[in-house]
Amino acid sequence: MKRRDFLKSTTALMGGTVLYGLATPAFAATPVSGGTLIWGHSETTQNLDMHQTGTASTGRVLQNVHDSIVTVDKDLNVIPNLAESFEQSADGLVYTFKLRPDVTFHNGKKMTSADVKFSFERCKDPATGAVNFEVFNAVESIETPDDLTVVITLGSVNAPFLSRLAENGAGVIMPEGSGDVQGTTPIGCGPFKFVRREFGNEVELERFDEYWGGPAYLDKVIAREITEPTVRLTGLRTGELHMINDIPADRIAEIEGDPDLQVVSWFPLNWDFVNFNHDFEPFKNPKVREAFDYMIDKEALLEGALWGQGAVTASPSYPTSASYNHDLKQRPQDFDKAKALLAEAGYGEGELSVVFKATTNYPYHIEAAQIMLEWFRMAGVNATIEQLTWSDWLSQCWVDKDFQITMMNFFTLWEPDFLYYSLWNTEGAFNYRKISNPMVDELTAKARVTVDPQARADIYKQVQTIIHDETLDVILWFRNGTIGAQPSVMGLDTIVHPNGSNLNFHRVWLQG
Amino acid sequence: MKLPAAFRTSKGLIGTGLVIAILLVAVLAPMLIPADWATKMDMRARLSPPTLAHPLGTDQLGRDLLYRVLLGTQTSIFIAGAAVLMSIVIGLPLGLISGYAGGTTDNVLMRLVDTLLSFPALLLALTISAVLGPNLHNTVIAIGIAFTPFLARIIRGEALRVAQMPYVEAARTAGNSDSRLILRHILPNIMPAIIVQSTISLAFAILAEAGLSFLGLGTQPPDASWGLMIQASRDYLDRAPWTALVPGAAVALTVLGLNMFGDALRDALDPRSKGAS
Amino acid sequence: MSYILNRILSMLLTLFLISAITFAVTNILPGDVAMMIMGTQSNPEALAGLRETLGLNDPLLAQYGRWIGGMLTGDWGTSLVFKEPIAPLLIQKMTASGLIVLLSMTIALVCAVPLGVWAAVHPNRWQDTASSSAALLGVSLPDFFWGIMLILLFARALHWLPSSGFVDPREDLLLALRHALLPALALGLGLMAHLTRMTRATMTGILNQEFIRVARAKGLGEGTVVWRYGLANAVGPVMTVAGLQVGYLFGSIIVIESLFNYTGMGWLTYQGLLNRDIPLIQASVFVIAAVVMLANLLVDILYVLVDPRIRLS
Repeated sequence: MKRRDFLKSTTALMGGTVLYGLATPAFAATPVSGGTLIWGHSETTQNLDMHQTGTASTGRVLQNVHDSIVTVDKDLNVIPNLAESFEQSADGLVYTFKLRPDVTFHNGKKMTSADVKFSFERCKDPATGAVNFEVFNAVESIETPDDLTVVITLGSVNAPFLSRLAENGAGVIMPEGSGDVQGTTPIGCGPFKFVRREFGNEVELERFDEYWGGPAYLDKVIAREITEPTVRLTGLRTGELHMINDIPADRIAEIEGDPDLQVVSWFPLNWDFVNFNHDFEPFKNPKVREAFDYMIDKEALLEGALWGQGAVTASPSYPTSASYNHDLKQRPQDFDKAKALLAEAGYGEGELSVVFKATTNYPYHIEAAQIMLEWFRMAGVNATIEQLTWSDWLSQCWVDKDFQITMMNFFTLWEPDFLYYSLWNTEGAFNYRKISNPMVDELTAKARVTVDPQARADIYKQVQTIIHDETLDVILWFRNGTIGAQPSVMGLDTIVHPNGSNLNFHRVWLQG
Repeated sequence: MKLPAAFRTSKGLIGTGLVIAILLVAVLAPMLIPADWATKMDMRARLSPPTLAHPLGTDQLGRDLLYRVLLGTQTSIFIAGAAVLMSIVIGLPLGLISGYAGGTTDNVLMRLVDTLLSFPALLLALTISAVLGPNLHNTVIAIGIAFTPFLARIIRGEALRVAQMPYVEAARTAGNSDSRLILRHILPNIMPAIIVQSTISLAFAILAEAGLSFLGLGTQPPDASWGLMIQASRDYLDRAPWTALVPGAAVALTVLGLNMFGDALRDALDPRSKGAS
Repeated sequence: MSYILNRILSMLLTLFLISAITFAVTNILPGDVAMMIMGTQSNPEALAGLRETLGLNDPLLAQYGRWIGGMLTGDWGTSLVFKEPIAPLLIQKMTASGLIVLLSMTIALVCAVPLGVWAAVHPNRWQDTASSSAALLGVSLPDFFWGIMLILLFARALHWLPSSGFVDPREDLLLALRHALLPALALGLGLMAHLTRMTRATMTGILNQEFIRVARAKGLGEGTVVWRYGLANAVGPVMTVAGLQVGYLFGSIIVIESLFNYTGMGWLTYQGLLNRDIPLIQASVFVIAAVVMLANLLVDILYVLVDPRIRLS
């Protein structure tokens, strides 16, 4: 079976990690301690404050420094972590967390309920500038009856509350009073201590021997920040680096065939979609949006922009999640239909002009935009591209909503409220397309107060149907994540966090 | 009519030949080749090495590099030419006034020019491009402004030299107005220096456009420009070196031609600098 | 002495102008720092709060006063995106860039002077043609193109040198030099070509002068004539041109450092521009302009010390 087919069949729709290259017995070997692992990291870390940082790159490194109060297993069920147990009152308003007694921070202090209270209140405080502050919007009080108990009371039901605490962005526990130093020298209770960052160059992490989950194997992890994909690959090939994340898409097949290297590939890393500005006159008409959907051959675009490294999807729900709607099918490429729909909307050949804004932050978006541009022209639409730096994209498209058509990717938001409310509700924080659909608004609000999991999942399936039928956006694909490594790097099957983005070095080790 | 001696050297001949050839490509290619040939993709022939169907190979989206480099010529030449023109339009009056008037005017203007010269041209162009937003016209403005202080300085030096010449003194004594002096006596005498300098600036402007596009702040895809083509080739270097070599060769030939032509032009128009490279 | 004093005074004025221009230009940059910090998680209320905290709502003149005051007292502010104090960051990155700039200048001078002299001594012979053609080719290609070729040859094909990265010389000098060599070469090739052309032109002029003919007539050996009398007089002009090229080099490092992932000043400035990290852009553009100006001043002063005649003009 060809690799692509294999990926498609396994992932057609279950997420998972696939390893290539080495015979599996290597995993049976007994782990040994010691050694420094040099990781070629694909992105530059920014503000190191876990509450304030909005970038996946920084979160990926900090995953090893911090721990969250609860976490998720590979099937995305919320499970205990720093809290050894948790319970929710019948009315869904009171959450009680029992903390582990054996958690030590990197500064030597034991974790207590005061630290939890401090961390959550810091995140909630607008002055902190925490990106996930709204998670705590419904919180009325945080009480600490004893050192190991935290009781959180909500003013109204917020079904996704617990799930949102399963990631470091909102669920991280920092030692009380450490707020001022987190931005430059983060302190947490994770398996590795932050040692130093040489800005733009590398981050050094050191094993924390008192880690509550048992000490890690590696003495040190050095994350070298190498943003050029080919340079990263060369570093791996010459042995300067033990491992790299994000292998250039066009080279993956070649590296997989290389017996001297191993490849970890998982699905999904993130997902992409094409956006219409619903305030731009032509896109107010659903027929025009549908016409554009018919111009795009999703498989060909995936092949062209990402060299096939992913799987097309009509739903942005996490593939293994209960809310994934399997009944939706992407529209095929059909220029006649597209032209007919445009004509119905009153646009003849050459009468519609659009500007496609794409960000250079994701080079494959530039490639994808160029390919789509050809198709738009073939359907009789005049189109041009504007390349934007990340900051310009954020200010023009995200905040000012000044665009006609653009494209974006999101890390797989496995929590459906985070995904559908933020992106498609009229009031959603991520609704930069000015979408306003009364049905979607009603359903996403209803799901927030629906506690029964099955009923909730069904509501989200309806939301997906509306997004697809009304072509609110064009959902394209899930993109694969990849790691390339030297044969000496062991335990790579444990490295990828269930959210698909973070990397965890706790159980990774180096063979002599 | 006989060619000046400077153009009858092999360097002069090659330089002139190259410049004419490139100008012809810049003008004729867009007339003879349909514009969409440079953006037409062939997903079955991505990163194809040179073949009969694609004599110079293809890029990462299967676009023909020959058509792209030919059609990109006009973009690159247009940007460089317009930018240099712009720097002359601003720099010429500045330099002339400064050199002719002398005194406080000269001091103030040259202090400003010296300050601007402390900013590396590429840094200045990058910053301006970031301010204005990247597109073709703003690239012209960014490079044009970045080159202006340099031109103003040279023109001022020339104007100063010519203004002190005996015949200008004589014309002044004869009661000619300042504007007449500048336009009739000084300007014609510094024209050769301006022409030579423009040719050399043109070469630098081509390199600057390539640098800006390379950093993503110049020409926008899918339009073809040489700098953009080199930028796109970065990720495919060791698999498909021709994607970098083809536009690189185009830049080299053009700049080489301009430099050789400029050298010959200087020898022909500006005998003082004879022997200077 | 008064000449040098004069130059230093006018330098202070220029520095002030540089600061004003830098501040003015960077303040009209589009985009918003607050937005960059919050990324895709931005929302209007949080943004407004952050803007206020960062002082982005104050009048421009107040912001300039605060900035210039900080620059003078050594408080260069904090990079908004990276949360690091700017002054130590810039010093560290300037050291990194200083290494490749000096290295490329050395490589360029060591190769260009003999090549230029060699060409000048054999006018219109094959030596001249070869050296001049090579130099012409050198100035005709963008430096990043040379960089790409160097990576392909020395890193990919031969595996002699690392293709990217920066190593602190204080940690491992040899490794640091190995990492600096390719970017320095990429920077230096164009400069070398330029200086070769300059040296040839200057030497040609000098060798045609009266005193050289007199020296030859006196029966001095050709080597002595060329190196002792000829080159000694060419050093001044060549040094001046080399000094003026410092500005060009500091422009080129933006492209070259980002190509080689060499995290110096050029890389930092480019990152600042991409991220609209205004305090970082302001400080780094100002520092680059100041360094370029200082280099030119230094060359001028050296020139005066070497050749006292200049004081008259």
